[in-house]
Formats: sequence, C-alpha cells, structure tokens
Amino acid sequence: MPTDLLILVSVLIFPGGLFAFSLGLMLKGVDRRVAARLQGRVGPPLLQPAFDLIKLGFKRTMVPDSAAPGVFLAAPLIGTVAMLLAVALVPIAGVYTPDPRLGNLLVLLYLLSVPGVALMLAGSASGSPFGAVGFSREMALMLAYEATIVLVVAAVGLRTGLAEGGVVTFSLAEIVRHQQEHGAYLLDPLMWPALGAFLFFYPANLGIVPFDIPEAETEILEGPLLEYSGPALALFKVMSALKTVVVLSLGIALFCPIAPHGIAGLAVWLASMVVLLAVGISAVRVSIGRMRIDQAFSFFLKWPLLLAAASLTVVVVV
Amino acid sequence: MLLARNLKQIAARSPWLYRINSGSCNGCDVELATTACIPRYDVERLGCQYCGSPRHADIVLITGPLNRRVKNAVLRLWEEIPDPKVTVAVGVCPISGGIFRESYAVCAPVDQYLPIDVNVPGCPPRPQAIIEGVAQAIEIWRTRL
Repeated sequence: MPTDLLILVSVLIFPGGLFAFSLGLMLKGVDRRVAARLQGRVGPPLLQPAFDLIKLGFKRTMVPDSAAPGVFLAAPLIGTVAMLLAVALVPIAGVYTPDPRLGNLLVLLYLLSVPGVALMLAGSASGSPFGAVGFSREMALMLAYEATIVLVVAAVGLRTGLAEGGVVTFSLAEIVRHQQEHGAYLLDPLMWPALGAFLFFYPANLGIVPFDIPEAETEILEGPLLEYSGPALALFKVMSALKTVVVLSLGIALFCPIAPHGIAGLAVWLASMVVLLAVGISAVRVSIGRMRIDQAFSFFLKWPLLLAAASLTVVVVV
Repeated sequence: MLLARNLKQIAARSPWLYRINSGSCNGCDVELATTACIPRYDVERLGCQYCGSPRHADIVLITGPLNRRVKNAVLRLWEEIPDPKVTVAVGVCPISGGIFRESYAVCAPVDQYLPIDVNVPGCPPRPQAIIEGVAQAIEIWRTRL
C-alpha cells in the first residue's frame, strides 16, 4: 500500500478518526460509571456519552446576537481537527508506529495546546461575560502547565537520546522502541520525577477536577461552552473525548510502552488506558474539590515544575 | 426514516436537566439536588445530568411562585433554551402559588406565561415524585424530538 494512503488511514480510521472517536466516547462512559460507583450510585449506561452526542445532533444550534458567528462556529472544528491529527501522532507499542512525515513530539505538543486555544476562541467569540472569564482562566492555566509538559518531554527525549548515544530525540517512535528494548521508564527511578510531573499535567490539560477551573460549571456555568448548543456543543464533546485518548496514550508512550505485538498489544494498551483513567481521573475527581485559579497557577509553578526541572537535571547529570 | 426514528429513540435517553428557581423558598431545590446526586435516588441512571447553561438543557424544572421581580428574567431564560424542550413545574408554588397565592408579589400560576407539561405538586414534593415527573417529561420529550 502506498504510504500516503497509510497516513490517511492512520488519521481517519486507526488509530485516529473512527477508532479514537469510539474509544474516547467509551472512556468517557467508563469514567462516568466509575465515578458514580465510587460515590455509591448506579451511574449512567456505558454508552451514555454516545447517547448525549446523538441527542445534541437533534437540538438547535443557537448563535448569540453578541457573538462573532464565524469564529464562534469554527472554534470547535479547529479543536476537533487538531485532536484527530494528534491521535495519529502517538505510537501504540507493538501495534502502530506513526509515519515520521506526520510529525514528531514537538508537533504533538503544539497540537495538544490547540483545544485550549479553541476553548479560548470560543469563550471570547461567544460575547458572554462567563465566556470571557473562562477565556482568562484557560489562558492562565495553560501558561502554568505548558512549561511542565515541555520539561517532561525534554527529560524523556534527552534520556532516550543520551542512552542511544546521540543527542536529545523528539521522535516518539524512537522513545517507544528504546523502552521496549531497555525497560520502561516507569521502573526507572531517575524518571519518577518526570512521571510525577506528568501525572499533575494531564488532569489540567484535560480540564478535570481539581483543574477544571476554566469550565467550572457551578461557578461560571461551563465558561466558554456556556453559549454553545446542539451540534456545535457535540463537536466540543468529541474534541474532549479525543483529547482524553491523546493525553492518556501519550502518557503510556512516554512511560510504559511495554506490550506484545498484534492484538494482544492492543488489548494491553486498552487495559492500561482504562486503568490510568479510572485511577488518575475518576478516583481523583470524586475525592477532591476544585482549586481556585490562583491556587492552581501557583501550584503548577511550584511542584510540577520543580519535579520536571529536577528530572531534567538528573537526566543531564547522571 | 427508520434510522432517524431509531436515533431519536436513542437521543431520548440523554435528557439534560436545568433548574430555574423563580423565587422558591429553596425547599424544592434541595429536594432536586438530593434527587440527582445521592446514592438512593440517582437520576443519572436515566441519563440525566444537571447542566449549568440553559443552552444545554432539554428538561426545565421550575420551582417557586414566579416572583414579580424575577418574572421577566425567568421568561427570558426559558426563551434561551433551544427546542425541543419540556417544562416541569416542581412543587405547589409554580402550580398555584402555594402559601404565597394571592400575594401582590407573585405571578403564579406559572402556566399563564409558560407552557407547563408536567406538574409535580408537593411542598416540597418527595424525591420519588420528582423522579416520576422527570420520567413523564422524558416520555413527552421523546414525542417532540
């Protein structure tokens, strides 16, 4: 098969596109179900996020008079498309290796910040004061956590690059291959600070309690999403589902990409996604409350950044 | 045609709830909160979710006797909810005014201004009654989709 066609398949069908879409919806369903069980409730059916999407498809899209209609309607599209591309950039150990022409870890980092930018666009274009508050909070949060993820990625890239006898590498495929040959970074004490920093980063990037400050529904009524209804809101839901897949699989690729080849590898990957989701998102989300934006900001500039910087230093020195 | 009908049946499994407090004493609002979030009466089983924004709502729960002060705001808010929607009056206040009836300050009954689909009387109504009201509202909503 020509490689162009392969790239298209990897973006539109597997592991991007259709596959990531259904996986993301399923993960959201698992998250809601696990959270409900932890609170002692029955919880919604596993397919509830899919029902929600179909429902939103039947509702009317309303554009407020004070909104900039073009940007207002384009923002969810921008975010969703960026996430579709991003899924295809993350390798699945033993199953899928992205084509180097698609891009490397740096491209992925840029793509990862696009949904945040889309939310900011949405908030500011909606003309609602709650949207504007959400916009400023999203921006502050992004400034706080971006430094952490860049340092984490640099630490992992540098460790791999030095071990391979070169300089820093930004190829996720190479990072995954190195860990498959020499053991996962999860078991390497030198990389634990980076892992810790990453564990702080991903709830913030996914907008989950305690870092769901830009969309806090009880205080600013879901901020940037306040004015969205119908299919446009559904697109934002799709974006968030895809983003869950991207960030979780990035975590697995950076720290624990150990899996057999073929279908068994896919099963291991799916299982580690679900475990990471249930432990790192659902359990955290039901047990603590939301931070204030100033608390989250100073928190991120202290502990996760410190951990990430420590990890980078350790990698350079050792 | 058949596909669209099936999809609508599925869509009816995701009713999002929105609460409007039109000057209620908060008794009914507390009952609404307990209906949703505690283990004994979990309405998330039915796919319901309380949403923060009127734009996301499918089923509107109105409590309170519609004060003169909030009347215009409530009517405006109701207009902002995208169709199709179902309106449920929770508690005796929006139905008749309850203990506030004949007061100069309230505009109850609410159905003078808004089309109410389901009435859930009580002061406050029991959670079971509210859940039954929501279930009836879902059936009505299914026909409107």
